[in-house]
Amino acid sequence: MSKTKNHILKLLFENRNDYLSGQKISDEIGCSRTAVWKHIKELENEGYSIASVHKRGYKLIDAPDQLSEARIRAGLETERLGHRLVCKDELPSTQKEAQHLAEDGAEEGTVVLAEEQTSGRGRLGRQWHSPKGAGIWMSLIIRPDIQINKAPQFTLLTAAAVVKAVKRATGLDCEIKWPNDILYKGKKFVGILTECQAEAADVKAIIIGIGINVNTDIEDFPDELKDIATSLRIEAGKTFDRAEIIQAILKEIESLYKMYMDEGFHFIKLLWESYAISLGKKIYARKTNGDVIYGLAQGIDDEGVLLLRDDDGHIHKIYSADIELSSQ
Amino acid sequence: MLKIQEIKELIKLIDESTIDEFKYELDESKITIKKAKPEIVQAAPAVQSVQPVQPVQAAPAPKSETKEIAAQDESAEAKQESNLHKIESPMVGTFYAASNPDSEPFVKAGSKVDEKSVVCIVEAMKLFNEIEAEIKGEIVEVLVEDGQLVEYGQPLFLVKPE
Repeated sequence: MSKTKNHILKLLFENRNDYLSGQKISDEIGCSRTAVWKHIKELENEGYSIASVHKRGYKLIDAPDQLSEARIRAGLETERLGHRLVCKDELPSTQKEAQHLAEDGAEEGTVVLAEEQTSGRGRLGRQWHSPKGAGIWMSLIIRPDIQINKAPQFTLLTAAAVVKAVKRATGLDCEIKWPNDILYKGKKFVGILTECQAEAADVKAIIIGIGINVNTDIEDFPDELKDIATSLRIEAGKTFDRAEIIQAILKEIESLYKMYMDEGFHFIKLLWESYAISLGKKIYARKTNGDVIYGLAQGIDDEGVLLLRDDDGHIHKIYSADIELSSQ
Repeated sequence: MLKIQEIKELIKLIDESTIDEFKYELDESKITIKKAKPEIVQAAPAVQSVQPVQPVQAAPAPKSETKEIAAQDESAEAKQESNLHKIESPMVGTFYAASNPDSEPFVKAGSKVDEKSVVCIVEAMKLFNEIEAEIKGEIVEVLVEDGQLVEYGQPLFLVKPE
């Protein structure tokens, strides 16, 4: 989309409840009223419904359910995050794209979004089911000035921020399973994949991948996921505006990120704990090498490491594992 | 502090000389080289050790002799290792040799790497960090196993620099 058309669209989104005169648009953007009219016609051809009333101007009636730069920017309250938006119809993976952009020096706050991922991935190359238009498939680049051993705390920070954002945008209360799975009534609908680019011990970039099942229907899930996965629409029984959720996520991550840099992990830890579903419960921790430890999830330490007390009273520090809640 | 190369040279010189015993002390490091009866030369395996080095006993018993030979081997190994570069883990976490369980490992013994080559992934709390070799050379040994928990600063690979 051309820069001018994008700008017009952003103005229309920002003034959704009012008519905006052609003169006002042309003054704001610095182009002729004829040019404005041409761009409005183009937007209509792209599926936007725009009312045009003589002497009053233009008003956006309806927009295609598409994540455009203009749509996300209109109403975005952040200072830095999301100020560069890369919106694509289709990408193999937003995370891969963001990795490349970060390597090429993309500034902090750059966000990559795709309507559809053809090879969306979770951790360790696991596939992430990301059908067209149904969810939010995004990757965010941040560049905190920290040592690499602190970087894992950003997975907990992101999880807490997403829970807050989902609450703000949809009203749903969800929970976190250590370290960063987000569940609603025990079913997963958000996956977070965080990757780090570092030089020796210094973090150069953290790339936060967030996948959210927003308007996915139950039939859209592959059979093996139907019992364990859900979407916001399935739970709330209505369709959500993805752009509003993205705006809320960027806002919440930005504010927790700022808090982290100013005051450290302590507050983030408290917030994370308040959303954690697994703490104080008996859980199974399945480690990468296949070992399973059973015990009480006692809490997390000041680094974010899960502390698991087994039946002999021995405390295990869990750095990586898949957590299953015990039914007992 | 003496370098391995210098110790090597010392051993060689003493070996060729008529000196039976040689001691060297500087600050906290000590080195004792003593010729035993069946002409065995020993260097302290840990040069930087703060503990005084046990002088080699010139015992003719066969048991003791094998011990001395073993010690000799060890020191040779130590010398060789010191020429190799260690790639260390920058954080505590799980070591992954490949990008996913079905893929080939990033590197194995014999792989050529350069500064930018990814050699493994270390993960903690689902933060994945691709570790780059940061040196040009050849992987001599992979020191840890896939899925193993590694500590901060733990050597992961030995690399022969080019």
